[in-house]
Amino acid sequence: MPDNEPENVPDNENDKNDMNQAPQATTADHDANRAPNVTVAVTGTSPSGADLSGGAADAGSRPSGQALLAPAEMRAMRRAGNMMSLSDLLWIPQAGVIAWLVAALLSGADGEAGQSAANSLPVILAAAAVFLLLAFARLRLNLSAQTLALETGRGARTRLRRDLLAAFAAASPSAPLPGSGEMAAHMGEQVEAVGPYLSNFMPQKVRLSIVPLGILFATACVSWLAALILLVAGPLIPVFMALIGLRAKAASLGQQKELTRMSGMLMDRLRGLETLRLFGAVERTRDEIEEAGTRFRIGTMKVLRIAFLSSTVLELFSALGIAFMAVFVGFSLLGDVTTGTWGAPLSFGAGLFILLLAPDFFAPLRAYSAAYHERAAGLAALETLAELNERLASAQSCEAATASARADSAAASPIGGGPGDRALGGRNLSLPGAGVSLALEGVTLSLGGHRVLNDLSLRVNAGDHLLLSGPSGSGKTTLLDLLLGFHRPDRGRILVSGFDLESLDLDWWRDHVAWLGQAPVLFHGSLRANLRIADARAGDRDCLDALALAGCGELLARLPRGLDTPIGENGFGLSIGEQRRVALARAALRKDARLILADEPTAGLDRDTADAVIEGLMTLGRDRTLLIATHDEALLDRGLPVLEFGRLEASVPPVDDDTQGRDA
Amino acid sequence: MTARSTRSRHADGLRRILSWQWRFHPLAFAAGLAMSFVPAIAGITLLGLSGWFITAAALAGLTGVFLNVMIPSALIRGLALARTFGRYGERLVTHDATFRFLADLRCRIFSGQAREAGSGRVWRSAGLLGRLTADVAALDGVYLRLAVPTVVAAGVGAVVILACALLSPSLALGPLFALVATATVASGLVRHRKSADGRRLEAAQEALRVRTVDLVAGRRELAVYGGLDARRAAILAADARMGDAEAALQARIVRANVWAGFAAQAAVTLTLALALWLVASGDLDLPRAVAAVLLVLGLPEVLAGLIAGYSRIGLMARAADRATARAGSVETAPQEPFTLKAVMSASGEPAGGHDVLTLDGVTFAWPRAARPVLENASLQISAGEWVCIVGPSGSGKSTLASLASGLLGPLSGAVRLGGTDLAALGEAELRRRITVIGQRPALFNDTISANLRIADQTASDDRLWQALEAAALKDRIARQPEGLETVLGEGGLGLSGGEQRRLGLARAYLTTPDLFILDEMTEGLDAPTAALVLDRFTAFRGKAAVLMIAHKREEMARADRVVSVGALQGRV
Repeated sequence: MPDNEPENVPDNENDKNDMNQAPQATTADHDANRAPNVTVAVTGTSPSGADLSGGAADAGSRPSGQALLAPAEMRAMRRAGNMMSLSDLLWIPQAGVIAWLVAALLSGADGEAGQSAANSLPVILAAAAVFLLLAFARLRLNLSAQTLALETGRGARTRLRRDLLAAFAAASPSAPLPGSGEMAAHMGEQVEAVGPYLSNFMPQKVRLSIVPLGILFATACVSWLAALILLVAGPLIPVFMALIGLRAKAASLGQQKELTRMSGMLMDRLRGLETLRLFGAVERTRDEIEEAGTRFRIGTMKVLRIAFLSSTVLELFSALGIAFMAVFVGFSLLGDVTTGTWGAPLSFGAGLFILLLAPDFFAPLRAYSAAYHERAAGLAALETLAELNERLASAQSCEAATASARADSAAASPIGGGPGDRALGGRNLSLPGAGVSLALEGVTLSLGGHRVLNDLSLRVNAGDHLLLSGPSGSGKTTLLDLLLGFHRPDRGRILVSGFDLESLDLDWWRDHVAWLGQAPVLFHGSLRANLRIADARAGDRDCLDALALAGCGELLARLPRGLDTPIGENGFGLSIGEQRRVALARAALRKDARLILADEPTAGLDRDTADAVIEGLMTLGRDRTLLIATHDEALLDRGLPVLEFGRLEASVPPVDDDTQGRDA
Repeated sequence: MTARSTRSRHADGLRRILSWQWRFHPLAFAAGLAMSFVPAIAGITLLGLSGWFITAAALAGLTGVFLNVMIPSALIRGLALARTFGRYGERLVTHDATFRFLADLRCRIFSGQAREAGSGRVWRSAGLLGRLTADVAALDGVYLRLAVPTVVAAGVGAVVILACALLSPSLALGPLFALVATATVASGLVRHRKSADGRRLEAAQEALRVRTVDLVAGRRELAVYGGLDARRAAILAADARMGDAEAALQARIVRANVWAGFAAQAAVTLTLALALWLVASGDLDLPRAVAAVLLVLGLPEVLAGLIAGYSRIGLMARAADRATARAGSVETAPQEPFTLKAVMSASGEPAGGHDVLTLDGVTFAWPRAARPVLENASLQISAGEWVCIVGPSGSGKSTLASLASGLLGPLSGAVRLGGTDLAALGEAELRRRITVIGQRPALFNDTISANLRIADQTASDDRLWQALEAAALKDRIARQPEGLETVLGEGGLGLSGGEQRRLGLARAYLTTPDLFILDEMTEGLDAPTAALVLDRFTAFRGKAAVLMIAHKREEMARADRVVSVGALQGRV
């Protein structure tokens, strides 16, 4: 949820790596977009031992979320990692050039040959040129790797969003889905979190599996003892880090909650600031926020003390590894150590060479560990997204079914003609002007394991008005949803002017229905744009007429920019009564409507507003078929036929409508 | 000229954050910087010393000259340890200092916003609020990623340049070049920190959020009225804009890294060539030459930290601008008047006898509005009186309520409570004597008891239950297994709209003010609930006067006097 923006605890271990790890720095800006993924404790926390010993092999116990990544994306990331590794390995010849040059000078300084090869300026310059050329190649490789990684990361995020949207569009509108704020967090931050995981962590993983081995091999060619020093220092690191990381992880679990609570608290209190001020509670609340901040800091530092310890272990071993290497090389050259090589004693050039290589043996490990929190955030996000996809897939409804049916029949009988006479199966359907007749024949429907409608039969003549009444959860809304095609009956059928609803093109059918929901949603945008959702061709005149019919005259007069006034979250705040009226105006713009469905249109409204909404509905319902689900006594007293729900459906567990209602 | 002034104004946010953090705790600020030198210097010396050591050893091995090996080898191990533990200490110190500062900054922002509460700039937008908290979180980098690496890079760079210059003056060229080149690249990043791409990225992120919220919340509307596909396309368009903006930002960062990397490599090459040439020409001994090369070889690591930090400067600059703008009012806002008069009037001037509330020729206009909302409005409410203000929407009823409650100040004229001007009353005193019951009480993500105790911190549980009963909510809460300790979700989630309103009433019933201000108290409640709420309020208000904004007959019927807003202003 966007409300719970946690701190991104900075990990300044990225900052101090050598330039080979540039990709890390360059992708660091991703953090900006990845707000709500808690990274507190994971900062600098170790990878688990199992992960490292697994090396680059990303098979094995792969979390379900990773299945969301396309094979091509994984391949591209491996390629980026390979390029980075190659760039790293080019340091071996570079170190070779330095070592050779210096060694040649040393033998020259020894004075035995007088003129060594390296003593002349051209040789030095040539060697420098080779060194620079190699440096250039390394940078070039790194640049390509980063570009590839970033582009693939971007493509993957777009693809994830597109898939999510497609799954969403295929789900029934009445399926229980996460709230809009949560979905926005999934679409935004969760998908973003996959970016750094793909474009930074994955290449680092590849790099970790290649570069240390390459350096080890080059070192071993010179001296087995030196290689042994690296071999001992290297693998020990993950073991210690895993131990410390486990502790940090345990400590961080509690801390994550604290973090969410704290940032949520600031937002929550800011939102209600006016109330706090009116009750003189500002100072007190400020103290509360300060206290929460202190609590959070102490908790975070507790976690960081352990988390930093794991990177300290890494540093310690790499520093000691390098120090031992230097000491070993030094004593070998002095002649105090005579073992460790493949026969001939260690030469100065060879010693300098392996000393120069040593830091790069540890560098990928450090980069990997610094990028590790991206793995945690990325995998968590992928898992969440996979779960959401599953949920969406299980909520697939008649939408998808009819979509495919439509595609089939469209191929079978291409239909021309205007929107008025489009139909399926070759039959031409034109609706009578005065509304449609409805017939339900033995309709049975279960939702979530509960039978909501049981063998319901019903006839409504064209142009009739009918009220649906009964306790909450008795199936009133479900009946309206059935008529809108949001559900398909398990048994029985629904006839619209004699045609089975299932045989109709749902989009076409809905074009002829006007619907007024219980908690009407107004979209971000101008009032005009909100109205024209119902009819894109509506002009200002139509909009104003519709608003007048819905009793919005007073509201319109108050809006600073008339029809152009932005409404919705960031715009002009409307009361719930005003929202209903605007929604009614929207419904009124649907002039082609033959059927009007209204779900609790007066719930939570004061009498005057409720009466205005009812009058508007009645005007709208003239010559049209009208169904209203309602509890409203005043409406029920109007003498319209009432269908009483609930008596036949005693087994249905009641749902507390009260808590589901949205308050403006 | 304009461009320059814009730029300098933009610089303010970051500078202000830095100076605030410095002033917040100068010692911690300086200690963090000092600590960060230890590992950096130790690391670079470790490399240089190792190079010198093995070369000297090789020479000694060849020539048989005595070399004291104990001191350098002990030094090497010592430096390795200093580097490791210095880094650990530095991280702890710098992070602790930063978290302390951020906690303080949150409080500042809260206080800054508190001054503006009710002045019409209420935040309904979850996006804006979310952005602000994210901004505060991003500001940890100002010290950790900008200040520390800058000082370390400059300091270590200077040390390496000096060390090389001591070995041989011309050797200073290499590190000098690396430092200057890195500084140039970094200053390029600084210059572009306000690039349009950053703003575009944020706008696209917000568009993605808002459009997704619309799509999900309005999916029934979209299914019925059409437009689902258009909304999907709009979300993907926001995604594309996000990708474009980010790619542009990343391209600059990648370029910066490549240039900084190339400069470092060139510096190494230069030093290598120079050092060897000096050896070949007999001006420098070989161990020192190797030491110089390795010193310069260690420099890129330090400088890369600088570039990494500066890569994020755009994000931090935007966050700093917004956060300081929000918190800024803390420093500029006038303090509460603490005059003798205010103290005197606070110490119990009797409310009875006088008019409780007096509006005397009050005029109010919103900034930049064409005409005033209220002009020369006057009104007296005597003790215990219930006055109802009516008028069409937009006629200034709610503005009048805000003026009476002191959330807004009049442009001219005076608002007095018990004869004292509101501006002269202390905020605490004012809030004790006036209770506002609005249309939308804010409920917090906390327990019911905590939500109630906002009105009176010391209220006992018994009083809370009494207040709940008076608000016709006792049974509902008593049914909850956790009772008063039931935690409400964000914005009162878990209670219906009507229940939320009644909880707001219960909160108000914990106060004993001289004046209640009711702003459309029963708007949106169904008739039976509205009648119940009005009955309970009538019984509860005791001797307090009431200023009521209403348009319903049921509400007007309760008042002693009904006045139209127009009549207050001498109009009919």
